[in-house]
Amino acid sequence: MGSSVSHAAAPPPPPPAGLAVALPPKAEEKSEKKVDYLNLPCPVPFEEIQREALMSLKPELFEGLRFDFTKGLNQKFSLSHSVYMGSTEVPSPSSGTIKVPTAHYEFGANFLDPKLMLIGRVLTDGRLNARVKCDLTDNLTLKINAQLTNEPHFSQGMFNFDYKGKDFRAQYQMGNNAFYGANYIQSVTPHLSLGSEVFWLGHQRKSGIGFAARYNTDKMVATAQAASTGIVALCYVQKVSEKVSLASDFMYNHMTRDVTSSFGYDYILRQCRLRGKLDSNGCVAAFLEERLNMGVNFILSAEIDHRKKDYKFGFGMTVGE
Amino acid sequence: MASRVSSKGKGKAARGSRGSDGRSTARCVKTWSTWAMKKAKVITHYGFIPLIIIIGMNSEPKPQLSQLLSPV
Repeated sequence: MGSSVSHAAAPPPPPPAGLAVALPPKAEEKSEKKVDYLNLPCPVPFEEIQREALMSLKPELFEGLRFDFTKGLNQKFSLSHSVYMGSTEVPSPSSGTIKVPTAHYEFGANFLDPKLMLIGRVLTDGRLNARVKCDLTDNLTLKINAQLTNEPHFSQGMFNFDYKGKDFRAQYQMGNNAFYGANYIQSVTPHLSLGSEVFWLGHQRKSGIGFAARYNTDKMVATAQAASTGIVALCYVQKVSEKVSLASDFMYNHMTRDVTSSFGYDYILRQCRLRGKLDSNGCVAAFLEERLNMGVNFILSAEIDHRKKDYKFGFGMTVGE
Repeated sequence: MASRVSSKGKGKAARGSRGSDGRSTARCVKTWSTWAMKKAKVITHYGFIPLIIIIGMNSEPKPQLSQLLSPV
């Protein structure tokens, strides 16, 4: 950034000598550190700017039975088998969404190397989910994300090139349907980072620009995002203790005049992880992952939508790391 | 006037042929790239998971084939 070093705040007055022993050691460490604007930390990637809030407020809720089995063949290579029996929501033009009972078996293979990550999942109906992450150099990463289907014109793919600089990150995206996007995020102070993104949809001749800001300290994260598509999203996560964090989120869509706000909690305890959320759409959800044994997890998922009178309960087990 | 019209006509014909060459080249490139994308999609669809398995089975320490097939 090129600016000179400056004081962040006035130094606190020194404590009287008699109390120095009684005061906790934190008071001495808090004597302010000069902010070195040439050595700012690298910010989080632009798409992960709300990751703490998304982890707490959007667990993978499901309805029905889910069983996942992951078998590791060696440190880097593992196979996974997954069975799901339950209902999925299919958007229907007449009355919102309808529930369709589905069952599928999914086979997956993962290869995880520090430099190359390959994840593939194929379902019984022929759909393939592929993710590739390759470190081309120390700072440049290529990520490919694809969902391929047997039906024509339903497949999607996205190529991302990420460049990580000293205190900034830049990303260029290319997707199917002639989608091109780029985003850039820069650390401005040790706690604040600002970013922006542009995208262009070729087939619909639509383009957009968005801005984002993220302020984080050890105890809290606050982010704000605004885009020319008319979406404003704010979120705030407070880490109340090592085991508990609370999150809240606000989203406003100017085009559809839609406002949604939600509040959630995330308890990470020794044997379980419990996440719950309450929504302004009248939706209450909870998600529990309980560790029964080494490598065996029991999952419960519940969601009640009071407005639509829709009740979804799911249970399952995950075996393997 | 006649010469102007004829020169215009000749110019247009020359431009037209150059233009159609350019257009047909672009169309050729587009057709080939669409064909290549379709083939790449089919190859990825059938070959991605076998590719991961081949790369995984050849990584160190080499797992056994029986480990691949058995559920334990």
